[in-house]
Amino acid sequence: MIFPEGASARTSPAAVAGRVYDVVIVGAGIAGAVIADRLSREGRSVLVLEAAPAEDLTIKGYEAYLTDFYAAASKDNQSPYPVIEPVPMPRSTDARPIRPGGPNTNGYLVQNGPHSTDTTYTRVLGGTTMHWEGKILRMLPQDFELAEQRGQGPKWPLGYADLEPFYREAEREIGVSADIEDQRYLGLTYPPNYVFPMRGLPPSYLDQMVARGVDGTRVELDGEEFSLKVRPFPQGRNGIPNPAYDAGRGFVPVGAVSTSQVDEGERCQGNNNCVPLCPVQAKYHAGKTLAKALDRNVDLLAQSVAYQVHTDPETGRVTQIEYRHYHDPNSAEYQTGFARGRTYVLATNAIENARLMLASGLQSRSDLVGRNLMDHAYLLTWALLPEIAGTMRGTNCTSGIVDLRGGRFRRDQASFSIDIHNDGWGWPTGAPVSDLVRIVDQNTYGFDLRRSLVDQVSRQLLFAHMIEVLAEPENRVTVDPRYRDRLGNMRPVISFRVPDYTMRGAAFARRLSRQLFERLGAQDHTSYDPSEYGYVEFEGEGYRILGGNHLAGTHIMGTSPGTSVVDDNQRSWEHENLYLVGGGSMPTIGTANTTVTATALCLRTARHLLHELRHQDQPVALATH
Amino acid sequence: MTSQTQLLDRPLPAEIDTVADLEAYLNAALRLEHATIPPYLTALYSLHPGTNSDARHVIRVVAVEEMLHLTLVANVMNAIGRRVDLTADDFVPAYPAHLPSGETDFLVSVQPFSPAAVTTFLNIERPAKAPSEGRRLLPYSDDLGAGTVLAASPLNPGVRFYSIGEFYAEIDRGLRHLDHEYRQRGEELFSGDPAWQVTEEYFYSGGGEVVPVTDLASALRALTLIAEQGEGLGGGIYDGEGELSHYYRFEQIQLARYYQKGDVAARPSGPRLDVDFSAVYPVAIDTELADYPAGTPAFEAAETFSRTYADFLAYLTAAYHGQPHQLLDAVAWMFRLRDDMNRLIRNPFPGRPGVHASPVFGRGPLERS
Repeated sequence: MIFPEGASARTSPAAVAGRVYDVVIVGAGIAGAVIADRLSREGRSVLVLEAAPAEDLTIKGYEAYLTDFYAAASKDNQSPYPVIEPVPMPRSTDARPIRPGGPNTNGYLVQNGPHSTDTTYTRVLGGTTMHWEGKILRMLPQDFELAEQRGQGPKWPLGYADLEPFYREAEREIGVSADIEDQRYLGLTYPPNYVFPMRGLPPSYLDQMVARGVDGTRVELDGEEFSLKVRPFPQGRNGIPNPAYDAGRGFVPVGAVSTSQVDEGERCQGNNNCVPLCPVQAKYHAGKTLAKALDRNVDLLAQSVAYQVHTDPETGRVTQIEYRHYHDPNSAEYQTGFARGRTYVLATNAIENARLMLASGLQSRSDLVGRNLMDHAYLLTWALLPEIAGTMRGTNCTSGIVDLRGGRFRRDQASFSIDIHNDGWGWPTGAPVSDLVRIVDQNTYGFDLRRSLVDQVSRQLLFAHMIEVLAEPENRVTVDPRYRDRLGNMRPVISFRVPDYTMRGAAFARRLSRQLFERLGAQDHTSYDPSEYGYVEFEGEGYRILGGNHLAGTHIMGTSPGTSVVDDNQRSWEHENLYLVGGGSMPTIGTANTTVTATALCLRTARHLLHELRHQDQPVALATH
Repeated sequence: MTSQTQLLDRPLPAEIDTVADLEAYLNAALRLEHATIPPYLTALYSLHPGTNSDARHVIRVVAVEEMLHLTLVANVMNAIGRRVDLTADDFVPAYPAHLPSGETDFLVSVQPFSPAAVTTFLNIERPAKAPSEGRRLLPYSDDLGAGTVLAASPLNPGVRFYSIGEFYAEIDRGLRHLDHEYRQRGEELFSGDPAWQVTEEYFYSGGGEVVPVTDLASALRALTLIAEQGEGLGGGIYDGEGELSHYYRFEQIQLARYYQKGDVAARPSGPRLDVDFSAVYPVAIDTELADYPAGTPAFEAAETFSRTYADFLAYLTAAYHGQPHQLLDAVAWMFRLRDDMNRLIRNPFPGRPGVHASPVFGRGPLERS
């Protein structure tokens, strides 16, 4: 994919000041990118404000991220990206248990607790798709009807059938690899003859080992019986194009982005450091969409952090967005600028969208902006398999167990899916580095060291249970003038408690994993340390709940201004030319990684915006009487 | 036309007259396509990690497409029902190998990335058409040393083609001739099992798509793709699929600038391309196993790599022998080859100060070594 040379520096604060765009978008992640792409396709003028520095996307720039990642001692999701003063970002390594007497102000997120989360998002060009896992799960039809069917969670203003065409469009944009026959379960439906753009990626050897022990396991829950089966996940990574896609027209994978022709990344190579960063860009990132958009009438203004959304007090309409433009990423000096458009789209993610609205004094009359913050609760359990299973090979997660994503039990407890992690115990224990250190400390070296490292690491099994979290008004983002970043922006203040509904699901998951480990003959090594962040006690047992980086719910959509912040087009009820987009609009998140649903919602919003703009452009019919 | 050239332009005896002739030519084509891969891979991995991103990607893409060319020739061979064998003792050439460049030839070495290497790469991919029919085949002297002469006639010792393009033109002519002859006899030249064809499902390169060969038209298409990817289409810098051809990809390194759509030859107008010829491991040129002092770790690493490479060729042979799905694992093979090669390239050559170890490309299956 060719990135248009010079596009990252095509405009400037001075040039922007003199223009009124059709649409001003804040944030160049996947949500902002797809909306910019769709609007520009129809000739609309678009300005994208991006907080992070942005140069033309080149393979060299991407490789600089990779080099930094390889050199970093800590391989967390943000490790490829430079820490810069004007645009701080949350980092999992900043998480600490919250002590009584005040919030943890250690990292960028101010954490009020009681739960301390290690959730992150990435503030670079391309947003969190620059570190995401690329697992593309649609939400289940029943996830959209949880309120109606099970009496849980706020109601959605639209259903699976409304979103289904946009799921397909998102799957094309991202480039999804999956075999359709693996993805028909729990009511997931597709139009006749639909296939994913590319064939499914091969399950890892570990997946196959686990399947041998787990497939056919029967579980009873709330009077329903479930039969478990290891199933491949759809992936946002390039595989073998399916010739049957698009009524036989096939699919051409989008590879690496650069200003010159680079033929790389059109197939996944199975690299284990796929998260955070695919070495060859076979994994989708929003730069692939931005490259298309920037070839049209789209301006990108980087190093410009949105500071305030200004509105007309009479009409509520947004009049401009005030941003702080810094010249030097190593300094907090800035100049103030203003961006004007006919419509405005906030596409910064659930936490930042709410933060910006609240910092602008734009709490809604319903007092819902920032409330209902959701993220998947991750419960990890880990064990040692009796034989070498090839752990540490393949991308991070190729298969899992999804049979408990839905069922009657959801009236009482959270659903969950189980990820089988190909990267061993890396997440909870820091493997394989922690194993290496331990084995070296046993005075083992040379061949013996290599042998015992392989023996230890290649047998590691990690189940990551991705557990549903429902909207709770007290789980929220607020701002507080006492906590600001170096540019003077108020930082997000997070209050979060893991709901009991979720913990009931976690407790069930913990019991189930004991059972599954037993079936696999695996030795359970799971332990949760009460002194670590994320520790939760529930009904006398200890657990550790980690963040999923699937942020949602701070501006949920609904059917009325009293119960929601935006309508089904993600349009603000109170500011008619303002759209708050992304995961924040989702009233429930089910057990699906949020990106594909958020993207589908944004594609739907883009269609609506095109319609709106066309409508506004029509000559006004004057009364003739 | 002068009388002299008229004299030289006597019609050439058709080289390819039987399927056995064609098979010999296709075997020579497999050797020719493969011969460029060791030099490209060695230059690629001689680049210091984290440097020379531009050159790395240029060389990598061409190397992958040379593997595509190997596969395309294998498809033609399988289509006529003859067997592909990459494990013959003489399959990997002796380097420096001779390639034709018109009236004279040039040497292809396994060597580090350098301006000289880039010149060689340009020579390999340079378009060249014989000035007259009579100059298509040229005699070569037999005192060229030990190096393999590539693009030579497999039927007529002592004669080589004017260029790689002319070599393929002969195969093109032979295919048409034999297909016609078979048809007249009511027989089918393309009688191979279609299930043996490598399709795009099993092989992908950044640019061109693999062509399954089932008849004359698809066979000619496969050969045309080989020529176009090297030299461009009809004198242009892009091939029929809009891909920059190999010659112009390498020329970007010399001109320090990328081509982009709309450019004409020698005048690229795209982004700058940076090359650092000093950020390269000075690997030894054209080594043999015997060059490594026995018992040294470098010898062991060279032997290991040589064996891995021979195994790889045996593996490919099996894939081309009716098991195209095996090519999916070629990705893992390429990682293995890279790692084994890096073990050599990043270490000094024992007893040669300032020189690094270099891969020796083994031939023949493992059992024989």
